[in-house]
Amino acid sequence: MSSSFRKFLITRVLLTIPMVLILVSLIFFVMRILPGDPIRSQLGPRVSEEQADVLRERLGLNDPILVQYGNYLKDIVTLNFGNALTQGERPIRDELGERLPATLELTIPAMLFTSVFGVGLGAFAAKHRKKAIDYIIRLFSIFIYSIPIFFMGLIFQIIFGVSLDWLPLSGRMDPMLLTTFQSKTNFYVLDAILTQNWPALWSAITHLIMPSITLGLALMGVFIRLTRANMIEMLRSDFIAAGKARGISEKRLVYHHALRNTFIPILTLIGLQTAILIAGAVLTETTFSWPGIGRYLVERIALRDYTAVQSTIAMFAFFVAIISLVMDLLNAVIDPRIRY
Amino acid sequence: MEENKRELVSDSVPEWQLELDKVGFFRRILLARKWYGGDWWFVLISAILLLFVITVGVFPQWFAPFDPRAEVGPSLLAPGEEAPGLNVLVLASSDADAFADVATKTSKIGYLMGSPATQTIRDTVSTLNDEAEAQGLGNIYQPRSTRFETLDEGLAALNAGEIDSFVASDEELGGIDTAALGYKELEILSGSKASSFILGTNQIGQDILSRIIWGTRIALIVGLLSAVISFVIGVPLGLISGFIGGTFDRILTLFMDSLYTFPGLILAIAIASVLGAGIGNIIVAISVLYIPTYFRIVRGQTLSVKNELYVEAARSLGTRPREILFKYIFPNVLPSVVIIFSVNVADAILTEAGLSFIGLGLPPDTPDWGIDLARGQDYLRRAWWLITFPGVMVTLVTLSFSMLGESLSEILNPRLAEL
Repeated sequence: MSSSFRKFLITRVLLTIPMVLILVSLIFFVMRILPGDPIRSQLGPRVSEEQADVLRERLGLNDPILVQYGNYLKDIVTLNFGNALTQGERPIRDELGERLPATLELTIPAMLFTSVFGVGLGAFAAKHRKKAIDYIIRLFSIFIYSIPIFFMGLIFQIIFGVSLDWLPLSGRMDPMLLTTFQSKTNFYVLDAILTQNWPALWSAITHLIMPSITLGLALMGVFIRLTRANMIEMLRSDFIAAGKARGISEKRLVYHHALRNTFIPILTLIGLQTAILIAGAVLTETTFSWPGIGRYLVERIALRDYTAVQSTIAMFAFFVAIISLVMDLLNAVIDPRIRY
Repeated sequence: MEENKRELVSDSVPEWQLELDKVGFFRRILLARKWYGGDWWFVLISAILLLFVITVGVFPQWFAPFDPRAEVGPSLLAPGEEAPGLNVLVLASSDADAFADVATKTSKIGYLMGSPATQTIRDTVSTLNDEAEAQGLGNIYQPRSTRFETLDEGLAALNAGEIDSFVASDEELGGIDTAALGYKELEILSGSKASSFILGTNQIGQDILSRIIWGTRIALIVGLLSAVISFVIGVPLGLISGFIGGTFDRILTLFMDSLYTFPGLILAIAIASVLGAGIGNIIVAISVLYIPTYFRIVRGQTLSVKNELYVEAARSLGTRPREILFKYIFPNVLPSVVIIFSVNVADAILTEAGLSFIGLGLPPDTPDWGIDLARGQDYLRRAWWLITFPGVMVTLVTLSFSMLGESLSEILNPRLAEL
């Protein structure tokens, strides 16, 4: 490891700390300072003020705001989010830990799908610039950007789930299979392979197709556009002209030489897309009743369970900051110029 | 001919005109004209879409046939499907001639459970009462109703004289010959003011067309107002931060960058879940999300413009900083901000629909696309039209603003248009 890289690494990691701090503090103050009493709205108007006060006391909401803030930060650092207020009052950490694999199982295929097809279509459009196919791909990218992700999911459900009856409408696995299915890691596809349970694997995969393609399509528009713009820039550069002069085939020039050089902006984009990916996951999970973290958040909002909502959002903030750190470091590894 | 071509190829001829010679018929039409650098057909499509959306949003009452909140017909009527007419059966020996004769306070009406008759009878009776009221008779119609599980039970009750009339649609009667069985049909009740609805009705009998038309207004209000608020806060902050620099700038930038990386929808969820339902709260929640977008762009541009020669000249002439900021720097920043604004409106509308979809956002009876989509999800298997039409409207509106942004960026950034 060169000294410049070590220096970059340290600065970047140190910069992540204030970023996470700002985000989790923002969430704390938004939830606490904005008008509206979370305890009141959770208990409803029929519960007496004394009972509400008992709950406030138990949650430490009667302490001075700075004490509360300190406790909140301590809880986040120790990853001890306390218990949910509703539905069995399970520890939030356990619940999130159980649901995180579901969200990852949905988002990883989505991200792969969108990277492969988004970059492919963008490069293809750049190669055929100003031809009909270029215009079609460009319009397609604006179009899928404009469709609300949940509407796209609902339309897929109507077409492939109801009319054609090809794919299951919602959930992660056939409820019949789920009763006997032993899940250790909560990654259903992985578990099914490990236990060599082929019907369960088939069920898990068919349940995964619609949600992950929906989420992938929603992210794809930006990928297509960025790849196309970068590729066009790249195709005009000198090294491509030099390659042409040496008689390298155009296909090889486009998909090998030029595309490889657009990977850095694309990698940056993947980092920036995490935010959109998470927002998309919340909506996709709601549409397909996918029992991930996003669905948990929405369920708890409906129950007005404010400790669960606050902890889930804080975890998202943490997650986003980590991803952006990892992406920056990856960039620095690939492209030494970034370190300075 | 050869001479002419040579004439054309001069420095003053833009590139796109040269390309026209090289391309086929269709592309020649598509490339034929540039409108300040944008493709004409692209600008045209977005202009038509926008005009349509804005007209509908500003004057929903011109287009909507019904009150979006009123239950105007039978529930779950498919687009264009006729509302089923309902037969009013009485014994052939009865002396009643019209529905009004069997709808008085002393009369009893029977129908099947789950029949559209419930709504239709209620509507017809209220129309009759309105007429009677106008004649000064007061509320004289108020039949008592009895529900039956099967048709046979209902007809038996009619035969036994337990009810005075039995109301059922043709489908419910199952094609029996009523005259042969000793009944007479008084009249056919339609109940609703219209017999069919272009885009169908939802689960509580509201007209979908009217709801999506009124929904346009809500979407435009939320989209435009929140974009204006983010603009008004984000642009001056970016200008000042970039212009002043120093610690103030560094702290603000760190803050805005953190906000920017955070998923917008999640932040809006946090704010909206605390503030509660209401259009004002939603606008606040959404406008917070886009402040960093303006801030980052404006700050970046300010930093690069601030060291230009003409700014330095103005400074050395003793121009006050505020004047430099708003007279010399701001106009240079404006073009990129305009593009962001239009994309921002599209994004804000999507976010609003998303918030309403997960149940945060507007009060439940609001004619709003996100709410309609969430409610339609429960009827996915039976009624595709509940979801399709509101969703198409969100897409159209977002598309029109995205395309406007795209056209604007081509017009204002000629370098991008080259790509």
